Amino acid sequence: MRKTLLGLLGTAALLFGLTTPALAFEPVNVVHTEKVQAGPYDLTIGFSTWPVKAMQSLDFTFAPENGIDGKKGTLTLFRGSVESEDSPLARHPRKREVWGLDIFALPEPGTWTMRFDVDGPAGAGTGELKNLQVMEQPGPPMGLSWAISTIPLFGLIALIVVAWRRTRVTVH
Amino acid sequence: MTVHITATAASPARTVPRGLVPASVVVGGTLISLIGLTWDIQWHSDVGPDTFFTLPHLFLYAGSAISGLASLAVVLLTTASSKRGRAVDPMIGGRAVGVFGRTFAAPVGYLISGIGAALFLVYGLWDQWWHGLYGFDAVIDSPPHIGLLLSISITMVGAVMIFAVARDQRWGTYGVAAAAGTLLAFSMVTVLGLRALPGGLVNTVNVGSAFFSVMILFMGAYVLSRRGGALAVGVVVAVLQAVFWWFSPWATEVYADATGLPLRDYADGIPGLPNMIPMSLILVAVAVELLRGLPAWIPGAVGGVIITACAPLQRMLVQGSNFPALERYVATVAAGAVLGALAGMLGRRFGLMLRHLAPAKEHSHA
Repeated sequence: MRKTLLGLLGTAALLFGLTTPALAFEPVNVVHTEKVQAGPYDLTIGFSTWPVKAMQSLDFTFAPENGIDGKKGTLTLFRGSVESEDSPLARHPRKREVWGLDIFALPEPGTWTMRFDVDGPAGAGTGELKNLQVMEQPGPPMGLSWAISTIPLFGLIALIVVAWRRTRVTVH
Repeated sequence: MTVHITATAASPARTVPRGLVPASVVVGGTLISLIGLTWDIQWHSDVGPDTFFTLPHLFLYAGSAISGLASLAVVLLTTASSKRGRAVDPMIGGRAVGVFGRTFAAPVGYLISGIGAALFLVYGLWDQWWHGLYGFDAVIDSPPHIGLLLSISITMVGAVMIFAVARDQRWGTYGVAAAAGTLLAFSMVTVLGLRALPGGLVNTVNVGSAFFSVMILFMGAYVLSRRGGALAVGVVVAVLQAVFWWFSPWATEVYADATGLPLRDYADGIPGLPNMIPMSLILVAVAVELLRGLPAWIPGAVGGVIITACAPLQRMLVQGSNFPALERYVATVAAGAVLGALAGMLGRRFGLMLRHLAPAKEHSHA
């Protein structure tokens, strides 16, 4: 019993010991920027990978020229001319001095638009990053990925079919 | 330890019923997986930054490891017993089946729970490759994540089978309700994979939630085959939902404080996983109990209607969402009725199939 407890404590200590240093989160590395003029505000849009590919997640940063203090706003995404989603501009969790989206992926390839509605000391302004080209998704086609990922489900169905046939007579 | 796990014909005096220890470890592992999942979902929505070694991730890995190692231990001990020519007690995980010819003798329940844990490892590698290609996406319904969730679900199905064998004993009865409730709550996340299907007017996730909750509820009720069986599963799910409603945001905030990370701006703190579980399930459980005498498809359809009809109301109540367009709502409820009826019939049949796992004296307990 004592040995078991010691073993458990040792395992827990090892796990936590290994976890703590591993919790160093990746910094946000901007490798490409674009400029957007939203009324009186100069925005710099940063991308952590470039070019952007569908379904590939990256960090986006949205930095007004004089910082985000006293400003707020909304980001609206459009695929072509269809609105995809809108959300308030929030600080990036790993780069708190600017707004951003962390490990965020655009789901479809095509031409996307990011619209920024910013409100601050100099009044309200709207600007758009147009013609953001999102390339085809990397990797295998989604059908193949789903086929590989649902093998456990089909295995379970096969098990059910076998059990069903073996118990058919007795259940009825 | 060996005494409890192996199925020797002449066991010495014991304080714990035979089979209870490994069964509890397997279902305990699945609960740890569920805790890890609810915590991880909340972490991504309320805090964000991610690595391979966050605590919620460790819970997810540990849950499958615990269930898998317990299953492996039972299979190895059963194999050893069988090789020595000792009688194997089918009350521990069901009848032993030969694996790789007759290399291993594996009680069928533990075989399934162990296969689920082994699949989890394989899909972990698939997920790792996926993240290398697509980045560290925090998307719950990516194909490898659904593969991982399905693997854990298979371990949970194994846990239901293990307890179903002992359903005539008190610990087996409680175990079936606990294992089925855990599987049901967990499946409410796996159904998010149905977003990949074209549903037209129908909300595929709502209908999927209705289908799996009705099916698992019926399965539990028919395994137990006694008044209150469906209600027991419903109560387990409600308790899990209530505890996680408090736990998920709390643990997320405590962990964020401990690691010095701030909460996201505009984090709403709405419990993610618990809110995917239909609050109306308890009504379905009551309906199933009240409509016991009718063919299974009738209470099944009623259950499907209750869950799909109430899902938007739950979202309005919790998130302040808008009511969906009327034609979408009606189409979803109609699909819920049809698939609920099917789920009722399937769940009943699965429950009866699970009863066959036991070396039962059917005449003593019906």
